Amino acid sequence: MSSPKITTVPKLYDYLHHAMQIEHATIPPYLLALYSIRPEADANDKPKNADAIQVLRVIVVEEMLHLTLAANILNAVGGKPDLAAPGFVPLYPASLPDGENDFKVDLQPFSPAAIETFLKIERPGKAPEGKKLISRHRDRRSALGICPGEVDLHYYSIGEFYDEVRRGILYLSDKLGTKLFCGNTNWQATGKYYYSGGGELFAVTNLDTAVAAIDLIIQQGEGSDPSMYTQEGELAHDFRFEQLKFGRYYKEGDPPYDPANPDGTGPKGGVINLDWNAVFPLKKNAKLSGYANAPDLHEAAVAFNHVYADFLKFLTEAYNGKPELLLKAVPRMFELRNKINQLIRNPIPGMPGVNAAPTFEMPGEECE
Amino acid sequence: MKFPVGAAERTTVDEVTREVYDAVIVGSGISGAIIANELSRQGKRVLILEAAAGGDRTLNGYLEFLYRFYSTASKDNQSPYPLNNNAPMPRGGEAQKIRPGQPDTSPYMVQNGPFYTDTVYTRVLGGTTMHWEAKTPRMLPTDFEMRTKFGQVQDWPIKYEELTSFYETAEREIGVSADVKDQSYHGLSFGKYVFPMHGMPLSYLDQMVAKGINGTHVKLAGHSYPIMVRPFPQGRNGIPNPDYEYEGKKGYVPVGAVSTTEVEMGGRCQGNNNCVPLCPVQAKYNAGKTLAKALQTGRVSLLPQAVASKVHIDPASGRVTHLEYKKYDSPAASSYKTGVARGRIFVLSANAIETPRLMLASGLQMENDLVGRNLMDHAYLLSWALMPIDCGTMRGTNCTGGIVDLRDGPFRKEQAAFSVDIHNDGWGWALGSPLYDLNLLVDEENKFGATLRYDLAHRITRQLQLAFMIEVLPSQSNRVRVDPGYRDALDNMRPVISFAVPEYTMRAVAYAHQFARIVFQRLGASDCTAYDPEDYGYVTYEGVGYAIRGGNHLAGTHVMGNSKSNSVVNTDQRSWNHENLYLVGGGSMPSIGTANVTLTIAALCYKSAKAMLAQLSS
Repeated sequence: MSSPKITTVPKLYDYLHHAMQIEHATIPPYLLALYSIRPEADANDKPKNADAIQVLRVIVVEEMLHLTLAANILNAVGGKPDLAAPGFVPLYPASLPDGENDFKVDLQPFSPAAIETFLKIERPGKAPEGKKLISRHRDRRSALGICPGEVDLHYYSIGEFYDEVRRGILYLSDKLGTKLFCGNTNWQATGKYYYSGGGELFAVTNLDTAVAAIDLIIQQGEGSDPSMYTQEGELAHDFRFEQLKFGRYYKEGDPPYDPANPDGTGPKGGVINLDWNAVFPLKKNAKLSGYANAPDLHEAAVAFNHVYADFLKFLTEAYNGKPELLLKAVPRMFELRNKINQLIRNPIPGMPGVNAAPTFEMPGEECE
Repeated sequence: MKFPVGAAERTTVDEVTREVYDAVIVGSGISGAIIANELSRQGKRVLILEAAAGGDRTLNGYLEFLYRFYSTASKDNQSPYPLNNNAPMPRGGEAQKIRPGQPDTSPYMVQNGPFYTDTVYTRVLGGTTMHWEAKTPRMLPTDFEMRTKFGQVQDWPIKYEELTSFYETAEREIGVSADVKDQSYHGLSFGKYVFPMHGMPLSYLDQMVAKGINGTHVKLAGHSYPIMVRPFPQGRNGIPNPDYEYEGKKGYVPVGAVSTTEVEMGGRCQGNNNCVPLCPVQAKYNAGKTLAKALQTGRVSLLPQAVASKVHIDPASGRVTHLEYKKYDSPAASSYKTGVARGRIFVLSANAIETPRLMLASGLQMENDLVGRNLMDHAYLLSWALMPIDCGTMRGTNCTGGIVDLRDGPFRKEQAAFSVDIHNDGWGWALGSPLYDLNLLVDEENKFGATLRYDLAHRITRQLQLAFMIEVLPSQSNRVRVDPGYRDALDNMRPVISFAVPEYTMRAVAYAHQFARIVFQRLGASDCTAYDPEDYGYVTYEGVGYAIRGGNHLAGTHVMGNSKSNSVVNTDQRSWNHENLYLVGGGSMPSIGTANVTLTIAALCYKSAKAMLAQLSS
């Protein structure tokens, strides 16, 4: 049985493919939660849920940056990004590892439940010594944080997964020297064509830039750094979600929430303008099969899935030697938004109080 | 760009009274923001008095404007900005034709006529740059020498070359996207300079117009001019130019949306086509970005809801002793507290109507009677047509390209120069499209359902509107005055405007009308232009009538010059009569050429800031 750890370049490719899958997997849930919020103002003209919209959007933009950085790393070491590969898009609910169990990541509208899920995503657990890899039966549907090549091995959390990627790059660079970075530098996506956001996108051409890329992904997202404020003095994402959970801002001096001492900890600043009702009531984890009695919705949902699949094909093309194509990503993302908007404003016949939602089932991979 | 939390609420009337600032600035638009930033970064203590309602420039505050815009039925160019009787501003929808001898006294700006100017300006934090379209062309070298070259009015007291480095600084602060190769015409040359960001692409509509007219020649005053479509420099974020260099450092980092927390927005224009009245994502420059920088120094105090009401002078020396202002508690009520602000220098940067208004309301006219006179604004003539093919109108910024070939030429001895905008937002300005088209299709053609959707889209996508921005020269009788009979809710005197479109400009209006017909003809477009005699801007010239619009490019009312006898301020925008007073902004400009004024205003402010720092150091 081969070692689960990264000791060869092909193994690194597997891990980086999987990293791209992980980075991508949370985009549909964040995007759907973001668009599910209705752009409404209250009686005093104050926008409702604006803080939620902002943090969700920041995260989507950062995830796209991480996806592109992962593509850059893969390209740098001679691999080929492929977002159109079967199974790249998980079936929702997707599973992210959380120690002995998985936690489910649903496609759902903005809600307290969604906040809990996002908190778990942004606050991955740190494995106790000796438990970074866990042997257990893998959830059939869309497991992420797996150990590539291993049937039933999971990382304790996404943070641990990335730690292994980082370790593997350093190991292989030590072993192979600059030969590791054999990719065509013209294929690197940089800030020129990439709509800026989430921090600077940079080319990966050597060990330093490869490690910097992984570190950025870890620090901004799924890493295990528990600090409350980033280097720039920004409140970290998980704490921004905590603000939404409790409906109050963290003000300077408020310690992080500790369930053992709820009154003395947590955000105690100003009240956040939150309205859980100013949200389209989307069907959770909608599937095409659920629209069997609503042909118009079925057609619109199929159309969305095709547009999304095309988007992934388009990104693959861009990441495989045509970074200038990324300029066209902006109008394509608007098209995704338009198609999502078309769906989510429609109630599902026969399901009062429930609206349609995109299913993100790639053509040919639909559930029964 | 982070806005320091609480910055707009830190200062109180009592605190202001206790301090003698290095500089007291009236107005938080681009002029006030630039000067506050320049002075505070050199260690100076600055107070900004802003008439508008306060609150941090959080993203949520900005979003209020956006959501108000979404929900309002009338999308006029001030629609995002709430009514505030304590700091009123001119608004669309107020305009009505002036009957001879009967001034229109109902709007905030009393209009004596004969021409009703529909110019507006925006009294909010960040000023009119919240609302502006953000085209940033430079003035041409000849624009500074109207007398020498064309025997018209007066030369500027400075030459174009003296402003080049300040133009570069302004282009950096605003963040201009342009390519030098497209902007090198009519005497403009850039040497090794490149703009901070690459030029923005011409829209598909621009390209269709270019296909039809590039290479065409037009005749004027015995000369033949080839015309072509050229991109305009844009004050909004695009692709940073890695070759841009500043103080030895290469590259440029665009400034996105201003907020108190991290947001990922505004780093690059998305083509929302909503520039006027508000960019949804803050890719367009607004002075809030410069204000945020100034506030980060910790040396700037911002007092909102404070309307400067009187400039007090020591009669012996002529120096300003203090500014009196009215601080109101709420836009909804006109109760206020009077306060005073003291500084070593005072800067009035409230725009070319409000600054002279304040001076005149304080009794500070000059012997040469020039304060408030020579009010200028570009005269706009709109022409519109339906293209024979789909052109994808409604994408991109409001205007990406146009025709600049007649911005200069010997004809300027007789008639005004002009620049032509190709509007990416169709007939919006001319007729109120797409609402206009919707009403037409539903009410008059009885369309509904899929046919309505198709016809609406099919019409809009072929709409072409040309906006001719025509130079207006200074004319003494075009002016701003005050009258104690006209006051606002805070008892401040309102501006009284007298304006007529000079003949020099009307000659160009007539020519522009013909020019538009040539363009439409070349394009095979059907000309739909029509001017209504009841239109508030209807002016006849040589028997033909035209509807003229204002451009909100206000200038001239505290003109700069070389001597106290023929100007209000010197070339540093310092008042001749009051040595610690600066009047900055468009009001200082002796002429406006065919360039939107904001870039030049910003450049002049950088020049003045240097002089202010020198004065404060001595």
